[in-house]
Amino acid sequence: MAEPDTHEERLAALMRSAQGGDADAYAALMRDLAVRVRQIVRHRRAFLGRADVEDLVQDVLLSVHAVRATYDATRPFLPWLLAITRNRLADAARRYVRHGAREVVVDDLDVTFFSERTNTMTTTYGDPDALKEAIADLPAGQRSAIELLKLREMSLKEAAAASGTSVGALKVATHRAMDALRRKLKKEVEDR
Amino acid sequence: MRTADTETLIRALAGQSPRVQPLARPWVRAAAWLAIAVPSALLVVVMMPGRGDWVSRLLLPRVVSEEAFALTTGILAAIAAFASVVPGYNRKILLLPVVPLALWLGGLGQNSVRDWLQLTSQGFSMQSEWVCLPATIMAGAVPAVAMAVMLRRGAPLTPRLSALLGGLAAAGLGNLGVCVTHHAYGNVRVLVWHVSIVLLLTMVVGSVGRRLLNWQSLVEQARRAAMGVSFSGSSDDGDV
Repeated sequence: MAEPDTHEERLAALMRSAQGGDADAYAALMRDLAVRVRQIVRHRRAFLGRADVEDLVQDVLLSVHAVRATYDATRPFLPWLLAITRNRLADAARRYVRHGAREVVVDDLDVTFFSERTNTMTTTYGDPDALKEAIADLPAGQRSAIELLKLREMSLKEAAAASGTSVGALKVATHRAMDALRRKLKKEVEDR
Repeated sequence: MRTADTETLIRALAGQSPRVQPLARPWVRAAAWLAIAVPSALLVVVMMPGRGDWVSRLLLPRVVSEEAFALTTGILAAIAAFASVVPGYNRKILLLPVVPLALWLGGLGQNSVRDWLQLTSQGFSMQSEWVCLPATIMAGAVPAVAMAVMLRRGAPLTPRLSALLGGLAAAGLGNLGVCVTHHAYGNVRVLVWHVSIVLLLTMVVGSVGRRLLNWQSLVEQARRAAMGVSFSGSSDDGDV
């Protein structure tokens, strides 16, 4: 095969090989695309942090992977890539606006109600050692979720990246862990 | 939502990248779709009882031009729908069915006004043509399903528009089948019943575009296929 003249031709050649099932060509193409897409995202979404930029880069790479059959080898590669990138960035912006519209910012108030019913964990129960034991007894996934989100106070995204799991799975694990802790600690209070 | 670091993702994607058959060009796919859609629409037409002497009516120049514009609208809508799911195409291609659609509706509209003026002076009654709705749905069902399956192989860049165009192609072709044997008498009835049924079905299909074609399911599927090992690893911990 003749050596490609331009960078775009090189990318197109890699994609043709990737469509033919060449894993090495595909990995090389994806690495190249990651760099290019990262530049585009940083340029167009300059306000985003590093983690959010990587989220978008991965989203675009997964999208490219999902629709790689739509690339026509006789057509230029970059307009194909840019159409996907633009579309995914617009999607992400819409998602961000939708989530923003649903979220309500609430002030972090220092005080709460005085009734015992609203202060069960702080007033009725206050044994940190028992809490540590209860956390230690949790299944590994739930314990990891509690440690990352509640003890190390990571955001869902950071915790998901650190644990290699999804945000949804983390939410479920945290919910179950909190339920289990509540049940266990309540039982201990009742047994006293 | 991040899966892992980007390099890990790339390795995972490259690790499961079997050979893929590139999609054919939009007009080739439209031809393939027509090869499925036309026989199925014709089958419904053959099964439907004909109204009056439909063969001689079909040869009227007015009816021939009307059917020709309707068919052209369906074919160009199908090409535009298939082009809409291929990244990198000029978006102007999506306007392909506009001209035949305008000519079809314009011709019908003009004839309808003439009929209306003529008929209102002689006393006019509008007969119900509800039978056209289930007939069009039946004739357009197989073309619509084939269109949906074929569109889902592409990129959901403009889901609603792609579905609208696909719906217009399927409903247009289905209606054309119904029109051949069951052509309503008079342009006003064709405009009110046949065209509005096509537009109604097109709108219905367009409204489900985002459910039918969306990135979320494609990306999640790709992520699950690539990172399946990591996901099952985390669920072994008993957290989910």
